[in-house]
Amino acid sequence: RAQTSFTWKMTNAYGPGSPFYVEGPGSPTDFCQKVEAMSGGRLRIQHFAAGELIPALEGFDAVRSGAVEMNAANAYFWAGRVPAAQYFTTVPFGLNFQGMNAWLYHGGGMALWDELYEPLGLKALPMGNTGVQMTGWFREPIQSTADFEGLKMRIPGLAGKVYAALGVDVKLLPGGEIFPALERGVIDAAEFVGPYQDRRLGLQNAAKYYYTTGWHEPSNVTELLMNKAAWDSLPDDLKAIVQTAAMACNLESHTWCEANNAAALRDLVENEGVIADVLPADVVAELKAVTDSVLTEAAATDPALGKVHEAFMAFKAEHGAWAAVSEKPLYSL
Amino acid sequence: MPFTEILALCMIGAFFVLLIAGIPVAVCLGVTGFVFGYFGFGPMLFTLMPARIFGVVTNYTLLALPLFIFMGIMLEKSRMAEDLLEVIGLAMGGLRGGMALAIILVGVLMGAASGVVGATVVTVGLIALGPIINRGYDAGVASGVICASGTLGQIIPPSLVLILLADIMGESVGTLFAAALIPGLMLAGLFVTYVLLLGVMRPAAVPAIPSEERANYSRRDLAGKLVKVVLPPLVLIFLVLGSIIGGVAAPTEAASMGAFGSIVLAALAGRLSYTVLRDTVRAAFVTSAMVFLILIFAQPFGLAFRGLGGERLVHDAFGAVPGGFEGQLLFLMLLLFVLGFFLEWIEISYIALPLFLPVFLASGADMAWIAILVAMNLQTSFLTPPFGWALFFLKGVAPPSVTTAQIYRGVVPFIGLQGIALALVFLFPGLALWLPATIGW
Amino acid sequence: MIPLVTRIADGASATVRIIGHVAAWSGLALVLLVAFNVIARYFFGFGTVALQELEWHVMAVSALFGMSYGLNQGGEVRVDVLYSAFPPRVRAMIDLAAHFALCAVALVIAYLCIAYVEASYSIDEGSPDPGGLGYRYVLKAALPAAFALLALQALAMVLHGALRLVGALPLPETDRS
Ligand code: NA
Ligand code: NA
Repeated sequence: RAQTSFTWKMTNAYGPGSPFYVEGPGSPTDFCQKVEAMSGGRLRIQHFAAGELIPALEGFDAVRSGAVEMNAANAYFWAGRVPAAQYFTTVPFGLNFQGMNAWLYHGGGMALWDELYEPLGLKALPMGNTGVQMTGWFREPIQSTADFEGLKMRIPGLAGKVYAALGVDVKLLPGGEIFPALERGVIDAAEFVGPYQDRRLGLQNAAKYYYTTGWHEPSNVTELLMNKAAWDSLPDDLKAIVQTAAMACNLESHTWCEANNAAALRDLVENEGVIADVLPADVVAELKAVTDSVLTEAAATDPALGKVHEAFMAFKAEHGAWAAVSEKPLYSL
Repeated sequence: MPFTEILALCMIGAFFVLLIAGIPVAVCLGVTGFVFGYFGFGPMLFTLMPARIFGVVTNYTLLALPLFIFMGIMLEKSRMAEDLLEVIGLAMGGLRGGMALAIILVGVLMGAASGVVGATVVTVGLIALGPIINRGYDAGVASGVICASGTLGQIIPPSLVLILLADIMGESVGTLFAAALIPGLMLAGLFVTYVLLLGVMRPAAVPAIPSEERANYSRRDLAGKLVKVVLPPLVLIFLVLGSIIGGVAAPTEAASMGAFGSIVLAALAGRLSYTVLRDTVRAAFVTSAMVFLILIFAQPFGLAFRGLGGERLVHDAFGAVPGGFEGQLLFLMLLLFVLGFFLEWIEISYIALPLFLPVFLASGADMAWIAILVAMNLQTSFLTPPFGWALFFLKGVAPPSVTTAQIYRGVVPFIGLQGIALALVFLFPGLALWLPATIGW
Repeated sequence: MIPLVTRIADGASATVRIIGHVAAWSGLALVLLVAFNVIARYFFGFGTVALQELEWHVMAVSALFGMSYGLNQGGEVRVDVLYSAFPPRVRAMIDLAAHFALCAVALVIAYLCIAYVEASYSIDEGSPDPGGLGYRYVLKAALPAAFALLALQALAMVLHGALRLVGALPLPETDRS
């Protein structure tokens, strides 16, 4: 007789109490509660924030070894293990929330993700999205790309590589040191998430210039990573529940961010003296040109990355043409 | 009570028995963790062990630990630290407790330079414990002053505890840093008061330097000597603090300015030989590794405690508390204090705090104030026998003649002083909240 | 028999000591490296992701290989309230049991770490940061190596302890305080 009820463990790359990443509507703990409620308790998932069972970035190996069944993180944390995984979190000048989900759910994205993870004994689903993120906090205004020369910035990932190509000195810093380093000028700029999360870190007390566009992270997918064997052992109804709960969290987390970021940005500008601004158009254009060459160059180093890159860019071109006649005019109304 | 929770209690019991029997701390942690963890949930969870250990040894924020230890040992091996305490003691003249006051001062300054408690206790312990015992200080009082001064770094910003609490409690790191400054300095003030009182009540425990010896130096000589010996440590503090404030280095990497500076200063003083460098390198290697050894072997213990449902034990205890916000806050304080007897502060933060957060958030109390109360409470967990980390770290660098019992006895009054400071912040929240409100953090 | 055991114990201890003497210089390397990164960034605007990552790589190797050397140099930390009052023979027996347990735990951890390194090797793990250090599994391989060395040191202590109990070596001195 097949097993009908399960107790699983989920680890998380983010620390206890983090809104969106751990707690709150559409968060991973919310996902666990939704699954338990929907399954009438047949699938119970114990959630462990970063450091509780394992350190922040060890979820990939823990899930792969089967020691835990699930992990919540961003796939780009696994860039050193599976370079192509980055494309399933975000791509600089890539796709926004709508485009990313369109690609994943209906544009062939999920199939590529499965193809990438299956040989590793893994299965992933999107489980959340921050939406567009902020370019970051700068101690001095950015007027041209010349201002990037020698700028010391905390910026991880592919975007860091783009900035580095424009003369930015990329500094690695753990979350807790961003504030003191920016406040004292050890770094001149820092990227974190968006208004709500950044305000929580107090970054408005360290730097005043707060730039958009979220060119570096037009959206940001929370990854639900699962051990493939464990996933396969679930009966079909529980599989459907996991898929549906992940999809519900994907929507709920994003709408939560939209609402809270709107309120937080207003507070930052009205009460904290923050100067929120858009990067100059020529700066963005140059970032875009550099991004294209950085991405193309990276895609050539790894066949799997190349394949995902091609597919992503093909979808982006098609979706972009549609967005240009649908969403874009709407925004300028 | 479920079987696993009983196992969790047995694990704590077994740990104490082994510890008291004199089994090395790391072995007690590792053995009880593995044995009880295995009974509790089989081998599966232990496949997570390598990830935990890798996480400890690659933890960027722990980088300050080996760097500050190197600085402390360089100061010791080049005999600059000894001269410093000696001359400050002489300069304090007939004041009893003069050297203890010097240690508190060094603790405040080191605390302002670093946020890693192990590093501060080890450094001050290395520099000061031997010399002041040689000066006739009571070994217990000396150990107590050093442990307590060493833990000041945990409340005086920058601080690892505050960074973690900011994360858990949803406050900005800057707010907590500002909120902690006055309580931290107040605590140092209480330590100073206590030492001065000791000078009156128990003069033999904190002797002044004998007048015959002081007579060997003219005021002029002493002033010259003072400048010469005080300068190098001041330069180091300036290098560390200055590089943080001046925006040269982030708090963790600033420790390297102190460590590198200590090499340069020893060279300038003509005291850097190959032998001194080699001895420093080896001693620093051993001392850092012994701190890491305990942190590493605490991993199976922590994992097993969690895996066995230890956090449910805590949760159940909380459920039984009579209502009222203040009752619950007091219970939290008591619980943190008790957990501090046998758990590491990181574990405590992860286990206890998330359970209480919803209650305190709902109460509308200022979370920065609660965070400072928690931080001060956790700070005592470094001092509470038998499992206070500061005590182990000090024991690791103490001369063999200093016994654990003396260290235990010595810290008790300082735990009392921390209790008083905690009560003051509890009764007068403004002590924590005034500064952040004033400077707008 | 006793000469053979003595030779093995002394040999194991000497191996740990020699490796430790070399590895100890990693501490100085760490100081110079972090200081270089800070100074080069501030004064010359020079910095690379690889050199920043090297900081905690060096720390990890230093911490891991320091464990066995620290024990070799008598750096153990214990609560000696009762211990220091025990007769030398009892203390020798406690030490023997403790070091045997340490040897076992170290071997278990070393064994657990092998699969961890294999998982990293199987996917040619590198740094997630562009420009970071590759070959992450080489760093991870320090885990089983260091714990094996720790087990070797513990074995040396077990053998030395056994030799003390059978009278081939002097027992530890009486109460140190
Ligand atoms: Na971001
Ligand atoms: Na501090």
